[in-house]
Amino acid sequence: MEKDTMIGELVRFVGRENVLSSEMHYRLYEYDASLIRSKPDCIVLPTSTEQVSKVVKFAHDNRIRVIARGAGTNLSGGSVSIQGGIAIVLTKMNQILDMDIENQRVVVQPGVITLDLKNVLARHGYLYQPDPASEKVTTIGGNFGENAGGPHCLKYGVTSNHVLGAEIVLSDGQVVQVGGKALDNPGYDLMGVLGASEGTLAIVTKAVLRIMPKAEAVKTMLCIYNSIEDGGNTVTAIIGEGIIPATLEMMDNLTIKAVEEAYRVGFPIDAAAILIIELDGLKDGMERLTERILAICRQHNVREIRVAKDQAERDKIWAGRKGAFGAVGRLHPNYLVNDGTVPRTRLPETLAKVVEIGKKYNLPIANVFHAGDGNLHPLILFDERDKDELERVHAAATEIMKVCVEMGGTISGEHGIGVEKLHGMSMIFSPKDIAAMKKVKEAFDPLNLMNPGKVLPETEKAA
Amino acid sequence: MSSANRLASALKEVVGEANVIQDPDRIKAYAVDGLTPNAAVSPGSVEEISKLLAYANSEKLAVVPRGNGTKMAQGGVPRKLDVVLSLLRINRITEHDVPNLSLSVQAGMTLSAVQEKLAATGKGSFLPLDPPYTDEATIGGIIATNGSGPRRYLYNTARDLLLGLKAVSPNGDIVAFGGKTVKNVSGYDMTKLMVGSWGALGVITEITTKLLPLPEASATLLVSFETLAKAGSLTRKVLHSALLPSAMELMDAKATGQLGEKGKYLVAFNLEGVGEAVERQVKEIGEMGKKEGAIHTKALNGQEERSFWLRVRDFALATKAPVVLKSNFVISRQAEILGNYENWAQAAGIGCAFIGHAGNGILTSYILENVVAQPDPVVDLIAKFTAEAAKHDGNLVVESCPSELKAKISVWGQPRTDVVVMRRLKEKMDPFGVLNPGRFVGGL
Repeated sequence: MEKDTMIGELVRFVGRENVLSSEMHYRLYEYDASLIRSKPDCIVLPTSTEQVSKVVKFAHDNRIRVIARGAGTNLSGGSVSIQGGIAIVLTKMNQILDMDIENQRVVVQPGVITLDLKNVLARHGYLYQPDPASEKVTTIGGNFGENAGGPHCLKYGVTSNHVLGAEIVLSDGQVVQVGGKALDNPGYDLMGVLGASEGTLAIVTKAVLRIMPKAEAVKTMLCIYNSIEDGGNTVTAIIGEGIIPATLEMMDNLTIKAVEEAYRVGFPIDAAAILIIELDGLKDGMERLTERILAICRQHNVREIRVAKDQAERDKIWAGRKGAFGAVGRLHPNYLVNDGTVPRTRLPETLAKVVEIGKKYNLPIANVFHAGDGNLHPLILFDERDKDELERVHAAATEIMKVCVEMGGTISGEHGIGVEKLHGMSMIFSPKDIAAMKKVKEAFDPLNLMNPGKVLPETEKAA
Repeated sequence: MSSANRLASALKEVVGEANVIQDPDRIKAYAVDGLTPNAAVSPGSVEEISKLLAYANSEKLAVVPRGNGTKMAQGGVPRKLDVVLSLLRINRITEHDVPNLSLSVQAGMTLSAVQEKLAATGKGSFLPLDPPYTDEATIGGIIATNGSGPRRYLYNTARDLLLGLKAVSPNGDIVAFGGKTVKNVSGYDMTKLMVGSWGALGVITEITTKLLPLPEASATLLVSFETLAKAGSLTRKVLHSALLPSAMELMDAKATGQLGEKGKYLVAFNLEGVGEAVERQVKEIGEMGKKEGAIHTKALNGQEERSFWLRVRDFALATKAPVVLKSNFVISRQAEILGNYENWAQAAGIGCAFIGHAGNGILTSYILENVVAQPDPVVDLIAKFTAEAAKHDGNLVVESCPSELKAKISVWGQPRTDVVVMRRLKEKMDPFGVLNPGRFVGGL
């Protein structure tokens, strides 16, 4: 189909002001937070489910590819239209449709920004638990497509544990309801397989979320170490003692220095590592639990412990943690975030190997991680204009993935496969496993028009 | 050679003669809804299961996977039934990573055996699932049917606990998804897709799950009321508070009486966690109950406590209720719906007991009398119950009933708009309808 004809049709569906087709706009939407760049053929910003359905149906009938997009902060190339097509940007669908406190549910459009939602809920004393560090800008739809985690997922689970239902647009434009406010809808767990499907199966136009009352008490501790190993061993020991804190986050020296320079939150720039430990729940017994945790820290050579006295101190600690990627982003023109996840007990070993890999390829690596769930984020720092460096970065990233798999882990904990990690899929899946997943893709999207070229590598069909 | 003999011969070649049952007296035990299979087979390895399914797929046979059969009465009548495939010999713990708090266990092991092992290892841990049929339910069956119990209020369900899963596809492919990490977004979440899929997309052979450390302390508080409104009010107050019971069950007089406790309406709380928090909650909920007009409050500990919850979980078994219904709906309607159900059952003269997860919007109705002779009033009652749940964004599932009743009711309720996707999934993953054909939602 001629581009002008296509644009004409799209204008009919969503209105002139919601169709973008200038060279500047193609440049604006050609990237996400990964290193992948590719222009869409057209960009639309629908404002209703009906519009999304019409656009998708039109694309389907004309064999045009579509790619759903939220804030475009995807770290693995999931939001980039590598095969052209129509970028369906959902940021204008940003309404909270139904605040149903008495049923502990909220219904939102996919473009609602996660932190905005949480701020509204906070006024009612309620929480939506998933807290990816990017919550200031990321959308619920994007969070669900990647099954985003965040520091609190150690105790509370990830996005797909809190999205109980959705209205979705299928690849042929059909609108169907999956799940809902009630639990245990009979049938296959379609909500389950849609989470982390990276926009390759359907487009969410409404999401039903689980919310819960705010915890009565919270205790946040900053623990300062002279060695990463001691920090890592503390994490294993705490959980080994039968204590599951709400969060167990770790940052290394390079990250600490970057954060301090950017935000001045009071992190010690000579520490090898800091642990951020948070307990939440009922106040009864929290002092004793805190003491037990601090004792464990001391057993592992903690240098200094700071317990946040009030909300302001707590906020400062979290500002430092949540701003970590942004702070590290100031150090070099680019970074590549690895997302390997290993069983928690193998974290110190894995970290040591990551340091070796950094040395081997002569690349600085800053480390932030969700230590409690074994999800590391080595940020490899470089300048993409240096082609040799870029090559070494990719090689280092692949080696880190391999190490994580060798440790009994996986290649992506929360940032998705996208394009970036396609070549890693064969490290963890057999051709038969991939063939089974391909059947799911074919069932949802027989023509392969929804975000093609993502998640599943092209492999021969298993016998 | 007859087809039955050909089948037996092929099965024996895979699993060995001793593991194939065809004897008419013994095969009766493997019937599903009155349909007797040609054979029941007990493979001893995943490779054997793979060969069996590959054979079934090429011969277009219908296979029903089975653990201890505690939920065989649930689901639609099978369109076809050639072989029952028992998972009981696939029953080992394959890895228990104590410091990682993860467990890999095969489908044929019972949950109770798993819990025993976990409690006795290291500092003690548990798999936070408490579905019915405590002694007999197997891991595979529980996961395939998404079995759960009262403690889902705090601990959620299988989809929130599983880290990975191994299965055999209907065509015989051996597949594995997920792993040992609590976060994993590599590829599609096939583990979740298989949870609750009723054995229709693959035969689950092994799961890897999160564990939790055993709680430091535990107590149970029973709060009795004369009126439903007051009981409901207590549950609502607790629901919206910062308190964290692990279970909050609301039940009617028939259920309460059956459990040997007092009151027209009983709210049972399970409190677990650090000693101070348990103590505080027992006290505080007791006071809240008094404020709402409770007529009696009782605390249970130790053996008494364990025994109470076993009786709640295994209520269907103990009462031999011929019909068990599970209604799901929005949380705030729990008491209202229980009241309506009670009134309608009474008006219809059908003896019925009710136990609900008051913090989840889930209510189980146990019809206590034999209904086969006079099915129509029960069919009408089920229709009324279903409409009521649907009115509140929910649905009703018939968890068990005599096969004769299945011709008159839709055990899964009306399929919703997403059945179109389920149909396509089933067609792609099991084109010849090998696994459990006709037993799931929409006749899938």
